[in-house]
Amino acid sequence: MEISGAFKNAGKNLKRTGKQIRKNYAAYLFLLPKLILFTLFIAIPVVWAFVLSFQEYRITESNIFAGLDNYKQVLESEAFREALLNTTIYTVVTVPFNVITALIAASLIHSLGRFAQNFFRAAFYLPTVTSMVIIAMVWRWMYNYEFGLFNYVIGWFGMEPINWLGQTNSALMAIIIMQMLIPFGVGIILYLASMSSISESLYEAATIDGANAFQKWVRITIPMLTPSTVYLTLLSTIGSFQVFTQIILMTGGGPGYATETLVHLIYKTGFRDFEFGLAAAQSVVLFLIILVISVFQYRVLNRRN
Amino acid sequence: MRGKLKLVFMLLFASTFVFILSACGKDSAGETDEDGNWKGKITIWDGPRWAQEGDTSGEEGKGNQYFWLEGKIEAFEKSHPGVEIELIKVPWAELPDKLGVNIAGQSWPDIAPVDISGSAVSIDHIDQGVIEPLDDFFTEDELKDFYENALDAYTYDGKLYGIPNSLTVHSMLLNLDLFKEAGVEPPANGEWTWDEFLDTAKKLTFDRDGDGKIDVYGFSTYILPGYYEAWPFFYMNGGQPLSDDLTEFTFDSPEAIESIQALADLKLVEEAAPVSMGGADVGGTFQAWANEEQRTVAMEPWATWAITSTQSSYPTNFMVANYPTGSTGEPVTIGGVGGWTMFHQESDAKKEVVAEFMKFISSTDEQYLMSKEYGIFPARISAAEKEPFADNPEMARAQEMSSQVVMLPRHPEWKKIDEIIQRELQLVFNGEKTAEEAMATAKPEVEALLQK
Repeated sequence: MEISGAFKNAGKNLKRTGKQIRKNYAAYLFLLPKLILFTLFIAIPVVWAFVLSFQEYRITESNIFAGLDNYKQVLESEAFREALLNTTIYTVVTVPFNVITALIAASLIHSLGRFAQNFFRAAFYLPTVTSMVIIAMVWRWMYNYEFGLFNYVIGWFGMEPINWLGQTNSALMAIIIMQMLIPFGVGIILYLASMSSISESLYEAATIDGANAFQKWVRITIPMLTPSTVYLTLLSTIGSFQVFTQIILMTGGGPGYATETLVHLIYKTGFRDFEFGLAAAQSVVLFLIILVISVFQYRVLNRRN
Repeated sequence: MRGKLKLVFMLLFASTFVFILSACGKDSAGETDEDGNWKGKITIWDGPRWAQEGDTSGEEGKGNQYFWLEGKIEAFEKSHPGVEIELIKVPWAELPDKLGVNIAGQSWPDIAPVDISGSAVSIDHIDQGVIEPLDDFFTEDELKDFYENALDAYTYDGKLYGIPNSLTVHSMLLNLDLFKEAGVEPPANGEWTWDEFLDTAKKLTFDRDGDGKIDVYGFSTYILPGYYEAWPFFYMNGGQPLSDDLTEFTFDSPEAIESIQALADLKLVEEAAPVSMGGADVGGTFQAWANEEQRTVAMEPWATWAITSTQSSYPTNFMVANYPTGSTGEPVTIGGVGGWTMFHQESDAKKEVVAEFMKFISSTDEQYLMSKEYGIFPARISAAEKEPFADNPEMARAQEMSSQVVMLPRHPEWKKIDEIIQRELQLVFNGEKTAEEAMATAKPEVEALLQK
């Protein structure tokens, strides 16, 4: 009885959806090109990667079904564990730092005049539109042991130069510092836009109640920006788990495996070793990790809201 | 009206689909005419080689570095009506990755300038039928014109999987101005022992302006998976990474350990190399030796390309020397062989034309020209006998080193084995592990791959 009811409901829903599509067919037709491209270049590759993760990839023959072998290899792999640890450390340090500094920078910029706001908006957004390849090359020069900027500066304080990218205890830290010092342009722009939509009456009421500027920031601005904070945290976490360009250009994952990250490992497994089945399994595991963390972050941050 | 609008949209999207699908399709088989001549399109990939003298066109003013192959394509098309050859220009640095992606997508070119050592194409690809054997297109006499080690590099399981067109070696490049400044004599005939090399490196490490900081170091190199500039040092006492039958890891032998540690100690103990030695910065290492504004290192080992690059772009007073000899007394270097490979073909008629074109661009005259203009050693004996380096003593000296070449192990898992070893070597050169500890760590991982 219950099942037939469910079928009836599903039938009704389908009918309703069909009716809606017929009614708005012009809008759906306009959406169709995007949908086709999305299907061809996103949906099909994602599904194919999932299927591939259960296969041994062969180039000129049919792939061989491998069951859970690829996943077993991923979980037993020391390199994957190291890459996961490095990527997690990178994410745990850079994401909170970037989101908090973006919030502080946006709050400071928001209180400025229009011209100054525009100037800082552009200045902080500039690194976002600059190629990471260029940024990584400049930073590699800044970390150079013999003539790099960082060793030059610490030399003023009588400190010994550091082999930033050449030692296992400093290489990952150097990559993290680089990411921390690149302004989180998207975050600043989004926070500024959200701040503009906070009602002035809230601040006026707080002023009447005797709140100072810091109290207003903590009690009104930050809570009102929670949706933006959730979005930026998720965005930044997903981006951090996919860190790649700076790794391949600055350290190649070394010294040893000190800066090996998940996407760099997936890239090597796929395009160096041509083990696409294993690389697909690594990608699916990465997808699941990001999914779990994102859902957790969303729930925790939204609960506070 | 509504019906017409619907029809317009339907046509629009149908044509979009047809366009996308036709773009994904591949017209590669061609057709054979009544006379049995194949007609169709051949795709060849190549990287930039050399430009005609005086040509400064292009964004970087380097001229058209594909003009040689474009000329050969034009000549071949003229003599083979109906055959169209498309040249895809790919920067050398991007070629292995791009080819890897294309192989994965089964959209490979017909011809590409790659070897089968594993950088872009590996033994695994041969096993899977991605590369075509070429034995049927060569007579025994034709093959006799190639150096044996050149043919060996393209031979797997008794079959030839490419036409070799160049040999390269790694050699030591010595900045003679810095030798003169330090009052050090370069090795006679470019030959030396490890002790002589070590002594020279120490003397070439000096503080130029008396500020207490070293301005010039004797030696430097880098350690990175896929690169082997430092490796001839590790062979100098008779060590080698794998046993001859490829069943055992042998870089943990006393001969190998001793030589790896000796080179690391050149930096860690003798301080005759910069701290950056053994890092992963390829460009930075070369600039430190070649760039006029730096020249902070007197000696570095490089592959053949660095000789021509120095001669053309970084005018330097330099000489080419052997790697130093160790307890074996024999100089050793690592070599490479370049050439053309043919990718999987569906049509035998097309295969013949593709092979004909590959032979057309690999003749004695073409290899001689390429050696002279592009700075590689010919793989054909007849091209070498024409003495392409009669007016280039540095290249001629490096060519002499071809006889010292040892090839890297030909194992299907070599890329993974190489990474394990090189990652451990990085830790030796930054002082975090001794050579013995590092190779002991590498051993079980490598042997697990060897037993696969």
